[in-house]
Amino acid sequence: MKCFAWQWVVVSSILLMAAARAETRPQYGGTLRVAIREAPVSLDPLQGGADATPSDSFAQRNLLALIFETLVTLDDRGRLHPGLATDWQAAPGNQRWQFRLRRGVRFHDGAPLTAEIAASSLRTANPSWKVFTEGDSVIVECDKADPDLPAELALTPNSILKRNSGGKLNGTGPFHIEDWLPGKKVTLVAEEEYWRGRAFLDEIEVEMGINLHEQLVELETGKADLVEVAPEQGHRATMEGRRVSSSQPMELVALVFAGDAQTPDERILRHSLADSLERSSMRSALLQGAGQPAASILPNWMSGYGFTFSSDADLDKARHERAQARTAPNWTVGYDANDSVAQLLVERIALNAKDARLALQPTSLATAGLRLVRLPLDMADPWIALSKAAGILGMAMPKRSGDTVEGLYSTERELLAGQRMIPLFHLPAEWASSPTLRDWKPGADGNWRLDDSWMRKEQP
Amino acid sequence: MMFRRKLLAVFALTVFLSVATVALIVSEVTRRAFARTDDERTSALVAQFKREFNQQGEEVVRRVDSIAGSDAISRMALALNRTPADSGPYFELAKLTAENNRLDFLEFVESDGTIVSSAQWPAKFGYPEESFGGFAAACEEGAFLKQEPLQDGSSLGLFAVRATRLGERPIYVAGGRRLDKNFLFGLDLPLGMRALLYQNRGDKFSAEMLVDPSAPRAETIRPPEKLEPLVDAVRQYDQEMTAVVSWSGNQIDDEVFHAIPLLGASAANAKHPPLLAILLIGSSRRNYVELKRRIQSAALLVGGGGIAIAILLSSWAAARVTRPVEQLANAAQEVAAGNWNVRVDVLGTDELSQLADSFNRMTTELLGQKERLVQTERVAAWRELARRLAHELKNPLFPLQLTVENLVRSRQLSPEQFEEVFQEGSRTLLAEISNLRGIIERFSEFSRMPQPQFARVQVNDVIRGVAQLVQAQLQAPDRAKINCELQLDPQLEPVMADADLLHRAISNLVLNAIDAMPQGGELTLRTRSDKNVLIEVTDTGVGMIAEECERIFTPYYTKKKNGTGLGLAIAQSVVSDHGGGIRVHSQPGHGTTFVIELPRNKDTEEDAS
Repeated sequence: MKCFAWQWVVVSSILLMAAARAETRPQYGGTLRVAIREAPVSLDPLQGGADATPSDSFAQRNLLALIFETLVTLDDRGRLHPGLATDWQAAPGNQRWQFRLRRGVRFHDGAPLTAEIAASSLRTANPSWKVFTEGDSVIVECDKADPDLPAELALTPNSILKRNSGGKLNGTGPFHIEDWLPGKKVTLVAEEEYWRGRAFLDEIEVEMGINLHEQLVELETGKADLVEVAPEQGHRATMEGRRVSSSQPMELVALVFAGDAQTPDERILRHSLADSLERSSMRSALLQGAGQPAASILPNWMSGYGFTFSSDADLDKARHERAQARTAPNWTVGYDANDSVAQLLVERIALNAKDARLALQPTSLATAGLRLVRLPLDMADPWIALSKAAGILGMAMPKRSGDTVEGLYSTERELLAGQRMIPLFHLPAEWASSPTLRDWKPGADGNWRLDDSWMRKEQP
Repeated sequence: MMFRRKLLAVFALTVFLSVATVALIVSEVTRRAFARTDDERTSALVAQFKREFNQQGEEVVRRVDSIAGSDAISRMALALNRTPADSGPYFELAKLTAENNRLDFLEFVESDGTIVSSAQWPAKFGYPEESFGGFAAACEEGAFLKQEPLQDGSSLGLFAVRATRLGERPIYVAGGRRLDKNFLFGLDLPLGMRALLYQNRGDKFSAEMLVDPSAPRAETIRPPEKLEPLVDAVRQYDQEMTAVVSWSGNQIDDEVFHAIPLLGASAANAKHPPLLAILLIGSSRRNYVELKRRIQSAALLVGGGGIAIAILLSSWAAARVTRPVEQLANAAQEVAAGNWNVRVDVLGTDELSQLADSFNRMTTELLGQKERLVQTERVAAWRELARRLAHELKNPLFPLQLTVENLVRSRQLSPEQFEEVFQEGSRTLLAEISNLRGIIERFSEFSRMPQPQFARVQVNDVIRGVAQLVQAQLQAPDRAKINCELQLDPQLEPVMADADLLHRAISNLVLNAIDAMPQGGELTLRTRSDKNVLIEVTDTGVGMIAEECERIFTPYYTKKKNGTGLGLAIAQSVVSDHGGGIRVHSQPGHGTTFVIELPRNKDTEEDAS
């Protein structure tokens, strides 16, 4: 009798372990429903990349990464990895680069990836480059030495795609476009012959133009499996028991002046304003602890030196600087009227400035001389991120002084020395997911990375 | 003015004054009654508003109480009493709580006065609450007014403060409602009443500080500056005041405004509590003015109608009263005109009837006396005529009698002597008979005075003609000297007259004047004009006594030895035929003046023609 009991316990345990293992083992099939706030009207990497507005570039980048691929990819630390190119090398001087294409890769229409198609795609994206083929390799020649060229090729606009005669875009990514309603919805279907292997998910439905509140409602009601969460709402969402995932801080919130400081007084006043800002209390209350106070353009995780830029307020110094200025500032601070957090930040900034006897008038008008902006940092490569940020803000990128961290630091310092920008915060991108979405974790750069994710089937 | 018109005017004026006085009294009494009613209504409305205002305050207190006792605030209070305390998670709590409780203002304030969360100014967390000093006392009180600083200025609110004490450090909950258009809209005010709020900021009145929830009406212009005197007065004296505001020239747009000063939160403790705002409760005077106008219209209508009726009644009454008087007046005029037979109707037995009866008896008596006088005069005239005839006829008869007796006696004389006597007697008889005939002819001539033939006559020329005619007589050597002087008006207008008859009349007067001056004297012939043409003949003769003057125009009356007594009678007859008159002024020893008065106007001409 005793022996039978032991046998029964052992068999039951084995069966339970098997069942539990079955719960965590990836399964093919299922549809992932995603809701996003942005509403891109095009799936063309060129239109969604270089000309994209900062607000929709995150979503666009993630969406396009499911359809299109680049020759090279970057990991969370900014290291290069082979993509559609298996290897690459630069000629001396870093002006001429050769990329050898991966064999056996096919576009979604079944056409094989060729060097000619890749070269044509890159030429379209970069008209200033000289791109040609050499066997199964693509040769890129730049006007000047460009050590970051492989990293640049990892950017979304440099995705390799084939344009059919009807204008239809074909990529080589794990999903192809099944249905596309510009600005509303896109349905992606797993590519069976994907060179890395078929994705676990059968389909991905992306619903666009859904505000954050509605996204949470859809998540709660089971209409969506993956939704965006505002950084300041992330803590609350977690406290309410939702599965919230964050990227590394990839968005810069900053005050940006319309131009460089023209007079010594103006320079002093901008210093005074920067010193008066209490970023920590703003983060604590307005951002509900999300993100990091920032006095630099690049986040610390990306540059490694961000902590050297002090973001603490110094009201005495600010008042002293204000007293040195002979002219009184009359600034208006603009913000996006649809961004409630931006409005609160601006109002708080105006209060802080008032403590330093600086007058700032918040406004939602676009004509303000000072604006609060949200600036997505495109990728983990700090040089490229810095360059892109400077480009978006219209600031001239200083001459690069080397590939070292010191060079990056001095370049960023030089960018900030013009006092065109007062960095405030680095914010992460955050998502909430349903329990049925398994093995999903966003990349440090905010990439969705749905390659290994799968949907747990609901029990009948 | 005629008696009837006077009577009518008196009646009408009396009635008008009576009606006007009554209308004024009624109007004034009514106006005062309605003004009192209006004041009472305004007072009632103000009281109602105050109740409503207090209810709003009580509602704010109730909601703040509810919030202070809620689980969310309790959890927050407990969390903030821990060390270290993180107020960041409660940053939005005030806003969410305010939305749920329909409050415009809500702040959670730590015991050190630091704002934990603010609904009205979310970015102000961590900053000190400016009015925190009064929070502890305010926790035990009801709602109070407070000027709340905001991101874009400030706003007046009705606040309440309560504390949540779940640890060593209390958390204060300060909530309120904004005193703005919505608040004023939310007040349950009667029809015709509205509430405005003046926010007392700055030293001078500013229209921008006036919160007027009423929709602007195009047909009514309401410049806020009209409220400035009332607002200034309340600001000066800090007490409730009432004033009528005229928005336009039309009284119907007037409003009575009751101004209530709204003092600040520390009113109970401070000596000089701040005047945060002035509540202006307006009550339209439209109904009152319309009623007042209706009363005035009715008064005017009644007054006008009364006056019209009064005039009609006065006319009737005046006619009834004055008709006998008018009849008497007309009868008197008739009597004055010589119609002595006129009679007045005697109706009734009142005083006027007695007067009419007396008038009739008087005219009857006068008529009788007149007839008796005429008869007397006629008898006197006949007697005079008989005396004159006897006198005139006696003189010739006596020689006739002597002559006839001589003839009878002469029959006994010789034929020669008889023939001589007969011849002498025949001559005498013929002469006396001729004398008798002459007497008879003069009488006959007087009875046959010719009718005047009118023509334009220059009186001065007639005077000159008479003077020239008598000139020889005046210069006769056997007469005492009489100077004749002409004083003629050169501007004298011609008159319609018979020149010959006028000449004869004036000649008679001149001859009488000459006869009156046997010792000589001055004869003055004068013409002048006033409303008539006057001819005066003046002598400096012996003059006459009054009785003589009265009888002087009686035919055949004369004082002269050889006078016929017809000269002045003829002169009077001529002047009378010309529509004029003749009178005499005389005193014994001072001469005599005869005045002939001839008409010169057209009426006279027509009458004369």
